[in-house]
Amino acid sequence: MKSIKVSFRVNDEPVAFQVKPYETLLETLRERLDLIGSKEACGLGSCGACTVLVDGIPLRSCLVLTPEVDGASITTVEGLARDGNLHPLQESFMEKGAVQCGFCTSGMIMTAKALLDRNPKPTQKDVVKTMSSNICRCTGYKKIVEAVLDAAAKGTSKG
Amino acid sequence: MILPAFEYKKAEDVASAIALYEKAKGQARYLAGGTDLVPLVKLRLSTPGTLIDLKGIEQLKTLSSQRGSLVIGPNVTLFEFKNHELVRDYFPALWESLEATSCETLQMRGTIGGNLLQNTRCLLYNKSLEWRTARGFCYKMGGETCNVVPKATACFSNYCSDNALSLLSLGASLKLAGPEGERKVKLEKIFSGNGRDPFTLKPGEILTEIRVPLKKSAGAYEKLRVRNAIDYPLLGVAVSIQDGKGRVCVGGIGPAPKVYDLKDLSGAGLKEVAEQARQEARPVANTTLSAGYRKKMVQVLTERAIKRAMKEGK
Repeated sequence: MKSIKVSFRVNDEPVAFQVKPYETLLETLRERLDLIGSKEACGLGSCGACTVLVDGIPLRSCLVLTPEVDGASITTVEGLARDGNLHPLQESFMEKGAVQCGFCTSGMIMTAKALLDRNPKPTQKDVVKTMSSNICRCTGYKKIVEAVLDAAAKGTSKG
Repeated sequence: MILPAFEYKKAEDVASAIALYEKAKGQARYLAGGTDLVPLVKLRLSTPGTLIDLKGIEQLKTLSSQRGSLVIGPNVTLFEFKNHELVRDYFPALWESLEATSCETLQMRGTIGGNLLQNTRCLLYNKSLEWRTARGFCYKMGGETCNVVPKATACFSNYCSDNALSLLSLGASLKLAGPEGERKVKLEKIFSGNGRDPFTLKPGEILTEIRVPLKKSAGAYEKLRVRNAIDYPLLGVAVSIQDGKGRVCVGGIGPAPKVYDLKDLSGAGLKEVAEQARQEARPVANTTLSAGYRKKMVQVLTERAIKRAMKEGK
């Protein structure tokens, strides 16, 4: 199999690789870039633990081939903190106890970030609808919804 | 889960995609959002030599109203489609089915074309290669038996598109392009009724356009599932009513949806169609809910969907 040259931006840093055509974005992030915040759980697009933002849109990175994101701009959970300060969503998740085992958390935060980017003042209904894209097997959904609403109330300055 | 080896090609336009398909000598699959195809490839249920990415084709991304029709490019994502200004107003059944499809994140990746042409599903088919090897291959995997219904002569896998049902109720038609040229078909004509190979598309054909007559309708979509998000339908019923005539579509049971005309919009006509739909439904034990329960729910959801659609129509 011929490898393919791809270049894109991850958390504002340009990267370029020669990848096999069948490498997933999740594999590239975790294995080539050591960005292990994005997790693989089901590997089939059901759970959302691998959610990252591709040009601002939340995607299951386990279902995306790396060659598909050539030229795109990708944000992972590692790219949310600014100047040593955590993103308001990350703060709210900690304060509200929205983390149990923590495996789904990075995917949850990325899904929530995409929601707040397009709708800074969501209702509880909006939050529940959006967050239902992700599965938490500890089933701590209530606190996750509270955390997202809390971050929205505090205002997440874009970034 | 690791993908098997394949080549990746990006097509610039429809003609070059078909040329790439022909070059791959039938060993290729078209890739749009990938939310259906990539899991199938990961599970080794599909083993393409080449994936031809259609996402770069501008022509397939348009969404506009033209001469009395809403013309939808198959690469329009479900999320974009749902939020189009005309959909909620003109086609409530379609809006509800789009809203009920999977979850927001997958709606942002999955396309309407891919949603229509998704493969049929079965509890004993969508499994890992190891699981399937241990159990023995069924008809849909190229074997000589059905693992769900002993001695069955056909495959009972379920067609799980929510939006095909609402589009059928609205009289949608499709345009296909392939190595042998272009053709137009009514949406109901793409279903073969054979679970092994559920579509009548010819090898190499690409869905290039979906067309829905732009006429205001009343409608509703009812979906049976265990969780309120992410799940595929275990039964879906779409109803659209235009000019005093209704169309009812029942899907999620068996490899092709069923369409019923609702001529009499009175209470008796409603009951008759719901009863007929229940009698004709042939669910088997290949989902997480029992066949008997799904069969009963065909009547319940059909009645519910028609009642809701009629209330909206007033």
